[in-house]
Amino acid sequence: MAKKKEEQAAKKPGIFSLLKPYSGLVFLLILFSIFSNSASLWMPKIISHGIDDYIHSLITKTHFDVNPTLVKFSSAILFIFIFSWLQSIIQTYTSEKVARDLRTRLSDKISRQSSIFIEQANPSKLLTNLTADADSIKLFVSQALVSIVSSIFIIIGASILLLTINWKLALCVIAIIPVIGITFALVLKKVRVLFKESRAVIDWLNKVINESILGSALIRVINSQQLEFDKFLKANTKARDYGLAILRLFAGLIPVITFTANMAGLSILVLGGHFVINKSMSLGDFAAFNSYLVQLIFPIILIGFMSNIIAQASASFERINTILDAPDSPAGGTITEPLRGDIDLKNVNVIYGQKPALKDISLSVKAGSRIAIIGPTAAGKTQLLYLLTNLIKANSGEVLFDGRSIDDYNSESFHSQVGFVFQDSIIFNMSIRENIAFSDTVTDESLKKAIDTAELHEFVDSLPEGLSTIVSERGASLSGGQKQRIMLARALAVNPRVLLLDDFTARVDNNTEKKILENVQKNYPGLTLISVTQKIASVEHYDQIILLMESEIVASGNHDELMSTSTDYVQIFNSQQSTSNYELRPK
Amino acid sequence: MNYDLNKFSTQQEKTSTLGALKTLLVLIAHEKKNLWLALIAILINSGVNLLGPLLIGRAIDKYVIPGNYHGVLVISGVLLAMYLCGLVASYLQTKMMGGVGQRMLYTLRNAIFNKLQQLPVAFFNQNKAGDLISRVNNDTDKINTFFSQSLMQFVGNLSIMIGAGIFLLCINLKLGAATVAPAALAWIFTKILSPWVKRKNAVNLKSVGGMSAEIQESLNNFKVIIAFNRRDYFRKRFDDANKANYATSIKAGIANNIFLPVYSLLAGAAQLIVLAYGIYLISKGEFSIGLLVSYFSYANSFYNPLRQLATLWASFQTAMAGWDRISQILSLDTNLATVKETVAEPSGALLEFRDVHFAYPGGNEILHHINFKLERGKTYALVGPTGGGKTTTASIIARLYDPTSGTVFLDGKDIRSYEPEERTQKIGFILQEPFLFTGTVKENILYGNEIYKDFSSEELEEALKNANLESLLAIFENGLETQVLSSGDSISLGQKQLIAFMRAVLRNPEILILDEATANIDTITEQLLSDILKRLPETTTRVIIAHRLNTIENADEIYFVNSGEVIRAGSLDDAIERLLHGKRVS
Repeated sequence: MAKKKEEQAAKKPGIFSLLKPYSGLVFLLILFSIFSNSASLWMPKIISHGIDDYIHSLITKTHFDVNPTLVKFSSAILFIFIFSWLQSIIQTYTSEKVARDLRTRLSDKISRQSSIFIEQANPSKLLTNLTADADSIKLFVSQALVSIVSSIFIIIGASILLLTINWKLALCVIAIIPVIGITFALVLKKVRVLFKESRAVIDWLNKVINESILGSALIRVINSQQLEFDKFLKANTKARDYGLAILRLFAGLIPVITFTANMAGLSILVLGGHFVINKSMSLGDFAAFNSYLVQLIFPIILIGFMSNIIAQASASFERINTILDAPDSPAGGTITEPLRGDIDLKNVNVIYGQKPALKDISLSVKAGSRIAIIGPTAAGKTQLLYLLTNLIKANSGEVLFDGRSIDDYNSESFHSQVGFVFQDSIIFNMSIRENIAFSDTVTDESLKKAIDTAELHEFVDSLPEGLSTIVSERGASLSGGQKQRIMLARALAVNPRVLLLDDFTARVDNNTEKKILENVQKNYPGLTLISVTQKIASVEHYDQIILLMESEIVASGNHDELMSTSTDYVQIFNSQQSTSNYELRPK
Repeated sequence: MNYDLNKFSTQQEKTSTLGALKTLLVLIAHEKKNLWLALIAILINSGVNLLGPLLIGRAIDKYVIPGNYHGVLVISGVLLAMYLCGLVASYLQTKMMGGVGQRMLYTLRNAIFNKLQQLPVAFFNQNKAGDLISRVNNDTDKINTFFSQSLMQFVGNLSIMIGAGIFLLCINLKLGAATVAPAALAWIFTKILSPWVKRKNAVNLKSVGGMSAEIQESLNNFKVIIAFNRRDYFRKRFDDANKANYATSIKAGIANNIFLPVYSLLAGAAQLIVLAYGIYLISKGEFSIGLLVSYFSYANSFYNPLRQLATLWASFQTAMAGWDRISQILSLDTNLATVKETVAEPSGALLEFRDVHFAYPGGNEILHHINFKLERGKTYALVGPTGGGKTTTASIIARLYDPTSGTVFLDGKDIRSYEPEERTQKIGFILQEPFLFTGTVKENILYGNEIYKDFSSEELEEALKNANLESLLAIFENGLETQVLSSGDSISLGQKQLIAFMRAVLRNPEILILDEATANIDTITEQLLSDILKRLPETTTRVIIAHRLNTIENADEIYFVNSGEVIRAGSLDDAIERLLHGKRVS
């Protein structure tokens, strides 16, 4: 078994490599546990000596002083108490420290990754890595490590003692070690398979719970609670069945081990009794055999259970390592110069999953100009904006800002100059101030300007706690439009040179939208604006309108040009005609 | 009603261990037969364990020392028979007790999930998703650990302890009482410390919940963190949660680990008493050396399980802390109960708001004194600036919330008197934020649809065709079989809205509410949708909430919703006038 572990260690860092930085603490831990264990082994000796001395004093009729025995005994139990208590503290401290540092390393790693990595790694799996997997490693450090070391210590010690007393009987007793060991190995092998499968069932169970929480409103609107419950019942039943299957294995395992141990005890009685009657063994040795048998069994069982914990922790460590070993997203460039705002895309292709998301996109945007991107649902508009914020990378082609590749820019400085208003409302569970001043470069002044521009000041003023009001994740406290405007303020608060709006107008009424766009022009002069929108009316006067359909640019130009060259554009325009004249009507 | 679990008063949290245990026991009340069988198995098993040493001792005294080997073999035969009994009994004990534990966990999980399904939307809006998930997953897992691993040992150890205690007291009452006395100290110690240990574990579980909520929130919105260059911020937030968790875990760990050293110390003290007091009694002639030796072994049988109970006790306290957090959820009730039918008032309107006021819990009043009627077959538009109360009005129509005061009538009856099934059949609501389940487009369209749920793809396509919806499928790469994920950007927001639209239309409701349900769909597809809406059955009432005016031009009536008031607009022009030049209040 040890050999196997060594082989594993050679291949990749095993779970024990994790302990290297904590070798001092681990050493103390093992030292203390050996201290208290040796003292425990000493205690029966003190008692037997005490009794022997008493019997001796009765025979010799001398006075028996019980005090030295009591003093020895008391100091032994105090010694054990102190060291086992210290051990428990160090154990807690070490295991928590290992878990904390591991989580920090994971979060560091995750924080350096691209958003595509996070999506592919799956946030809920990462959540498991950071919680359940870290916990199972914690268990390994806090329980398995010490138990195994002290168990091996006791097994070897007891075996040697037995062998020196009577090697024939000793071999008979020691024979139970492999029997128990093999039974354990066989059962645990099956258990591990079941554990793995039951883990998958628990993941499934959690998915049902998660979706039922996140989709709670929908479930109530169509009264599908029963349906969700049925789904859950199916997963839960499966989880219970796995629990019972694992239980059956353990229900068989433990009695078999106890029975084997009892058989060893029985053979001590039969064989040892025979030896004693033959006078080839003393009665005292016979009694010692019995007591050492008891001391031998428990560590064997313990090692069995702990090997299971180690197996689980190793699996967890492996999962964590796949995250830790993932290549970092490329370091990014070094350019920190302020952006002018010229943007060029040259023959860009993006493949998302299996399908092309953008095909051969070329476009050119002058600094300070205003560009609109329109097109049907799922045409690739959002992907195009993601490309411009470096959230996704082009599979081929170039994305240039001021004539230089987007990858050459220092990402910190780049992102502080490009503001992005996402289509879906993403509000964090913190104060409005923190939601808006999301970047640490935001000053009070730019915060105020952003709030004014997004027409939020009246709303903020109406709140009893103003900017300090905590808004919630899926806040019922905010309307769709308010969330959208907070997102805009968040993007503006960094004082961007380029502003990307993804369907910003969808949830904000016309009047507010118009005011906001005027404010943007007034307060952020020279800003390059790229706006994905459905409404032609609000972008008719933009410098350039790009029509994106099925991942390709089918037409571009200003409104008048498109009206005369693109039938698709005209069709969209006509679809909005009946009411857009209302919206365009001058005041 | 307060649904915020983290704002529960401490009084609500204070439940005694015994009380918590009682409620847990209710869950296994129907397992009486199994529990009795398990108890018998436990007794047999403990008997074997306790009698074994006694028999071996007798064998030594009576047969080994006098040299009677035949007697040794007889006793060995008896022991073998006993051990075989023990083998069967301990198998049954583990299986029965473990089975009870597993089934109890199963019942418990079902109860929690069932409760979650009963609670209203307000509950989910007041709690963080990550925290709820942690409660349901992590906290039940703590209970699981206890029931699947510790419970059997707990019961087994307890029975061995009691047996050994009886032996101790029977052999010599005085010495027995003195030997058991430290256990009483252990009991008092445990009694005093347990609430503290449980509290530390509760705080720890809370910080685990907080950390998981933090991770959940950040990872699901990672693109914002990247785009706003806040990776450091993510690190910091996580670091804080991680550190908080570290601190509480250490405290909980130290609390949990205090029992074992103390119990060992007391076990040592008991042996010391046996040694000192035993020798004293022997010198007085009240006790024998042989008995003293067996006394030590019974003292061990008494205190070793106690020491094991020490470790189990911590796991029990953790389970109890988890149980408290779960029972907080179980103690909640929906505030949207079905009321007894009131006198029907046939007013002709399909839906009517009468004097409706509404405020979110702890918030300002959002709607004041709302009165309006919706008639069968007509199309209504709710327009108004953001934050004006449109979504709230729609949510009240769908009874996601009840008005603070006033009444909503559906078909002449108080909406609260409808059973949820009937009500949700009548009212379709396409939410502002579409939600999809992981699966295929087909599964999502058919989600919760009682009539069509067993349809094959062909039959569904036929049904979609009849509802004029088939043209909307073209946008999905693989049609009905396109895979979608619940989270992430696997399909666009517009596509999600299309699925939600199909789902709602296929249910064929009497009132269909669209809450900016097509906001991210291009205008050409949107025209298609408004055609579909026009061709809905004549009796269907449509309520459309939108900013975009083209979606409401076909409305029969327009209501202008702003600053908590719902005003009927005279005409489309009037509404537009208000919208363009009206003052935004929020």
